[in-house]
Amino acid sequence: MKKIHTIIFTGLIILGATSCKKYFDINTNPNDATSASPENILPQALTATGGSLNAFNTYGAQLGGYMANAGGYGAFGVAITYNFTTTNWTNLWSNVYDNLEDYQAIMDKAAIDPTYTYYSAVARIMKALDYQMLVDAYNDVPYTDALHGISKLSPEYMDAKAIYKDLASQLDTAISVINSGSSVLGIKALGGYDVLFKGNLSLWKQLANTIKLRLILHSSGKVTFANTTFSSDGFLTSDALINPGYLRDNNRQNPKWTTWAFSNTGAAGNKAWMPSTFILSFYDGTKLQDPYRGKASYYQFPQTPGNRLGVENSSVAPSPEGSLWYPATVRGGTTGNDTTGALKGPGAGMPVITAAESYFMQAEAVVRGILPAGDAAALFKNGITASFTYLYTKPDGKIAGSPAADAATYISTNASFLTDLSLAADTKQKIEAIITQKYIALNMVNSDEAWNEYRRTHYPTLVNTAGASGKETFASSVSESSRPDHLPTRILYPSSEGAYNSSNVPKNVGVFTSLIFWAL
Amino acid sequence: MRKLLPLLAVLVCIAFSASAQAQTISGRVVDKTGAPIPNASIVIKGTKSATVADADGNFSMKAGAGTSLTVSAVSYKPFNIKAQGTSMNITLESVDNLMNEVIVTAGGIKSKRKEIGTANTLIKPEQLIAGKSNSIAGGLQGKVAGLQISGTSGGVNPSFRLTLRGQRSLTGNNQALVVLDNVIVPNDILANLNPEDVEELVVLNGAGAAALYGSQASNGAVVITTKKGKKGITEVTFSNTTMFQTLSYFPKLQKKFGPGGSAYGTDVNGRPLFSYLENQSYGPEFDGIKKPLGPALEDGSQDSAIYAYNPGHLKFWVTGVTNQSDFSLQNGDEKSTFFMSGQYATTKGTTPGDKFNKTSVRVNGTRRLGNAIAATYSAAYIQNRYDITSRTGDMYVNLLNMPSNVDITKYKDWRNNKFANPNGFYNPWYQNPYFTADNNRLKNRNDYFTANVEVKFTPVTGLDLIARQGVVTKNYSGKNTVGAFNYTDFAKHTDGSSKTDIPASVADYSAYTTELLSDAFGQYNIKKGVFDFKIIAGAQWRQDQSKTVSVAANALAVPNLFNVNNGVGTPGVGEANYKARQIGAYGDIRIGFKDYLFLHATGRNDWVSILAPQNRSFFYPSADISFIASDAIPEIMEKTPVTYLKFRAGLSKVGQVNLGNSFTFGAYSLLPTFNQASGFPYGAMAGYTVGNTLVSNNLKPEITKGYEIGFDLNMFNDRFQSTVTWYDTKTDDQTVTTNISNATGFTNLLTNTGQTQSRGLEVTAHVTPYKTKNFEVTVGGNYTYLDNKVNFISADLPKLSLSSSGSANSYAIAGQPFPVIMGFDYNRDPQGHVIVDGITGLPTKADTISILGNGQPKNRLGLDGTIRFKNFRFTFLFEYRGGYQVFNGIGTELDWSGTGYRTGLYNRERFVFPNSVIADPSSPGKFMPNTNVTVKNGNGNNGFWTDGINRDVTSNYITSGKFWKLREVALAYDLPTSLLNKTKYIKGVTISAQGRNLLMWLSKDNYYTDPEFSAGGTDNNGIGLNSIDQAPPSRYYGGTITVKF
Repeated sequence: MKKIHTIIFTGLIILGATSCKKYFDINTNPNDATSASPENILPQALTATGGSLNAFNTYGAQLGGYMANAGGYGAFGVAITYNFTTTNWTNLWSNVYDNLEDYQAIMDKAAIDPTYTYYSAVARIMKALDYQMLVDAYNDVPYTDALHGISKLSPEYMDAKAIYKDLASQLDTAISVINSGSSVLGIKALGGYDVLFKGNLSLWKQLANTIKLRLILHSSGKVTFANTTFSSDGFLTSDALINPGYLRDNNRQNPKWTTWAFSNTGAAGNKAWMPSTFILSFYDGTKLQDPYRGKASYYQFPQTPGNRLGVENSSVAPSPEGSLWYPATVRGGTTGNDTTGALKGPGAGMPVITAAESYFMQAEAVVRGILPAGDAAALFKNGITASFTYLYTKPDGKIAGSPAADAATYISTNASFLTDLSLAADTKQKIEAIITQKYIALNMVNSDEAWNEYRRTHYPTLVNTAGASGKETFASSVSESSRPDHLPTRILYPSSEGAYNSSNVPKNVGVFTSLIFWAL
Repeated sequence: MRKLLPLLAVLVCIAFSASAQAQTISGRVVDKTGAPIPNASIVIKGTKSATVADADGNFSMKAGAGTSLTVSAVSYKPFNIKAQGTSMNITLESVDNLMNEVIVTAGGIKSKRKEIGTANTLIKPEQLIAGKSNSIAGGLQGKVAGLQISGTSGGVNPSFRLTLRGQRSLTGNNQALVVLDNVIVPNDILANLNPEDVEELVVLNGAGAAALYGSQASNGAVVITTKKGKKGITEVTFSNTTMFQTLSYFPKLQKKFGPGGSAYGTDVNGRPLFSYLENQSYGPEFDGIKKPLGPALEDGSQDSAIYAYNPGHLKFWVTGVTNQSDFSLQNGDEKSTFFMSGQYATTKGTTPGDKFNKTSVRVNGTRRLGNAIAATYSAAYIQNRYDITSRTGDMYVNLLNMPSNVDITKYKDWRNNKFANPNGFYNPWYQNPYFTADNNRLKNRNDYFTANVEVKFTPVTGLDLIARQGVVTKNYSGKNTVGAFNYTDFAKHTDGSSKTDIPASVADYSAYTTELLSDAFGQYNIKKGVFDFKIIAGAQWRQDQSKTVSVAANALAVPNLFNVNNGVGTPGVGEANYKARQIGAYGDIRIGFKDYLFLHATGRNDWVSILAPQNRSFFYPSADISFIASDAIPEIMEKTPVTYLKFRAGLSKVGQVNLGNSFTFGAYSLLPTFNQASGFPYGAMAGYTVGNTLVSNNLKPEITKGYEIGFDLNMFNDRFQSTVTWYDTKTDDQTVTTNISNATGFTNLLTNTGQTQSRGLEVTAHVTPYKTKNFEVTVGGNYTYLDNKVNFISADLPKLSLSSSGSANSYAIAGQPFPVIMGFDYNRDPQGHVIVDGITGLPTKADTISILGNGQPKNRLGLDGTIRFKNFRFTFLFEYRGGYQVFNGIGTELDWSGTGYRTGLYNRERFVFPNSVIADPSSPGKFMPNTNVTVKNGNGNNGFWTDGINRDVTSNYITSGKFWKLREVALAYDLPTSLLNKTKYIKGVTISAQGRNLLMWLSKDNYYTDPEFSAGGTDNNGIGLNSIDQAPPSRYYGGTITVKF
């Protein structure tokens, strides 16, 4: 009897063993791709950068004085006390590193297949931009140890200045790689996969130069760069806009429009915020007279309601559906579209660096002698005009009104050194004018850069005395900051780093005490 | 075979017996439920004179009145009675927990309980259905030592989490394997299977007992066998149950203060002012005067409420009703048995508008074909239908944000009542909860089909060849809808309004999972001298497959036409397919020595498709030993009150491949993926992102190794019965998806690391102190001690996040209980006092999170009792859990809204923070007790209670999780047979009244909710956290009438 069952048992085992391989060979993923080409990754990576830029804009706008809490909501908590914890703004960190990995994946593919050299070069440029944004928010961050996946699970942090220095070199490398691209046999063009410059490599080189200029200006002598000259491609003279084909559709809108104006369903965006009285003072005549960009940017200007950050009471006006940054008077979540200002519409591109900022950077670089030649006043004027042009431009690229004429009127009617560099008494005033105009130009465009520039230069000038009004300072009325300007100096490393990279994350970082290396 | 033995014995007896000079007596042998016991033997004591009852339990024999008779039947205790009259009704008691009882164990193999060297618990159907729980899981709660069943949510069809002996896998499945008629089924079957169909339920507590089930067995198993019909019994049963459901607990509220707060200013006495539109109840004390609510409407009308307490929060919830009808039929003869049943139940939930219904049908049977072949089959189809709100949490938040002077029920008719309509609803920030419930709906349908066929071929005596095919398939589909609401311009722009239009949306989905399970095994029994051998060898093939397709439109062209065809823009779509296979080859040998010593060993090798080829195959053995001391050593029985004593011990090793869940089966987990993201594709252009999960390249199964030892002890003629088991298991190579630094470019890493340990004590004891024909009392209980901890994870990853709710997180941390609750606490001095500021009286929040409690109950106790008096049966069951903490997610909302009891603790005045210290100005670094520095604003709205310093501090909402619950109480009455005999057809009528979870006693500091609730749902190991998404807990009570024909 026992034999029978031995036979059966053995039989089963043999049967199992012989057919096993085939029987078990079913573990191929039918749901998700397990590889992707640079052509597939690049468009998404650039668009994801557009998403991070939106998150950074919100952060910059709230810390840098463009926004205040609106009526109808409460519990703003640390958003008005500035007493941030490690759980605030964590998306800035996670979005950028997630995005960086996509650029890294492109570079890794190109290292094996040189026909992707152009993809690799633009990934390198975008990596530099991403890291610059990270350093400006967090100072030291994982850099050389980062993006190594499983081989470096606890990446060490690198000194911010050293990162800056390397980023500049990376940008130089990217430019030279692009220049030598034509020698690579069968090199693949970027074409439509490049949702930033549509494959225009000279614009990429201009972007690289412009980012490098930003690094050099930010670090103002605190970093010794390997090479402080720029390639002959020059700097951006047009707006660098990411646009994969944004449209009013589910998850395919311009992210800034979705956040503040309307979702594709017509549901209102975030109504808990409104313009600050501080920023409105640059349009309404308190500091400067600018009905042009005011009307192009704000709903019901000059009657646009504003608030001092931190003031929470029933007298604070609520924000209308679509927000006060949506200037159109005929408004509807599913009908309103295509207007001017910072939000413009669901199909507008996401600005990476605008021409206006590029011109203001060049102007500052000329004033400071970083660029050997150039007319600072002309560059400054170009910056103002470019800002008008950007804000007047509709999502489809058509320009409403005459920005150049309005800019000229703006400059002449205000007749202040803040609008006309030739009226500046000294270098200090020149810098103040440049940074202040940049502050106006970056309003809701790239707000984080304005916040960086405030921390670097302390312009625009604030009144820091007790009892200063909302027109005189953008600091929250309930700020818990111990700083003279009642502002925070930075945000904290995210709690995830404390939890998963605790041996490396810098300790004793304070919201009101620790400075980004370039900050004042 | 066994039934034949007494029959033969009796026949032999009859042959030799001389008929005495006596009258004819007759009677009927029945079991406790009144069902006939066929083939019972009735012997005149001390003689060979005997008879056998027929299939209906009837017998007649010649015996003198007063003659002592012994009535016996297989599986029943022998019963002595004096002969009397012609209508003796003899009730035999089944031999519960006794040595010779045969139960179904792993692999569907039947074994005598005395042979089994591992802990198990047998649950009889009457125990399961006494409280008329509409689910098996509910009916098992508190009844089995070592088995923890937690109702993780309330609602119309509550979900349950079943774990045996704690948690082993850090992030994988820890729920007990559920086996229905030899087919491994998804756990949610337990919430849907008709409990009335159950013939027998065996809980195999440990991995050792279940080892034959292979890699699913590490969590123990609940083995359910459904009724197949019995030979000689024809019975038709109808029953109807009506159960009511009402809230058993609602968070404790303050009843003194209405809307307003100090942000609206203060009166001359410094008291906060009233606000007619505020949701936060931080206004002045109630004064009984009618006050306005909200701004005047567009037509000038004004809502109002008397400024006095109104129990509106409680009246919002309605009395739920479940109506359940059951019928079943069973029949059997020499060749075949047959069972079929049907059930239909409709439920109206406690949440206004929630509805549910369930239908199930079952056909089971057996059939003998000749002498060598026996066939068994079972098939069941179960369907349920939900029509519930999809936003329980939001509805609850909105409800709590209505002050307690408002009669909430008057806002029910939001379509017609202008004050209840979203346009006119007084609160500009929080919706009318009735509207929230009504406007956000989920309609879900689940269809389960389970079936199993088995053929047993017995070519020669002692050898059985068995083949089985099982199938379980679940199809489900559903639709989520959100209705459109466009506010009037007036509503959008009155007083501080943040009302914004609600776009309509619809999401539709359908999915299936199908499991095919084939078994083929041989079983050979042979007796050699004093040894009994039972040898089993076999193999099992399993295939799991699933698919889901979903489609959603987040805006609709025609409002409230809820069809994705009516969507605007590109619909969101999803599709996922999974398939996994497994083969197991196993052997099992049991050697019995003189029927009192049993050695048992199993071995199984599994091959799985979801691991890399080099790790696909893994083997695990188990062994156990059972020694019946009371049989081996006759002195034990003779000289002590002991009637049964068994020692047992087992060792086991089981692997579990933990890569996925019951839908993905862990398929395709070995390679990182690229997904479309950021809105891609845009037109024809695709865009992929690198997935965020890294995978270690050598993933292996988790291995659980452990031992258990124990004994079963009965005394005083089995009037006292007990079992004691100690176990200790360690689980290595935990497959965990750990969070890693974003700077790696990824967020998660799937890898093998870490070890957990679970050890504990399981004790059951029952005593029958009083027992007569008419009156019997049995009380007892079960106790479980559980020490469940994480020994280590890995050097880089000292802790692992399992789930979160609000500011609380559930973590696995090396060296700590599994899991622990972590969150923010106040800064404290070394003695644990809260440090407060010497001027403001305010504490400060600690910078980092700390351990605030353990989420796993260390001690559990079930106390049960049965009292039978004549035709009445009264049963009860209490359950206690203690030695753990819970985070109450609702707490922050109660404090925010100001309706919570806690916010009124200090009468909204400034107060000295309890148990606090302030810095000693004379000696820096030292602290002194704070006796008089009060919190600067003891109100809310802009004071302490709504502030982050209160609401962001997790420890404020951590309470002891201990509770006592009156799980079940039932009183049943069997109509006397004398009454029924007048009708020709009715065999029995039972009327019962029963209640479940009638009473709940919580820890004093817990004024929130049922500590059993889990925010992570049934599958999450991060227990100990609840949230506002769980509606308040319910009690159930009602009655049943059962008629047997």
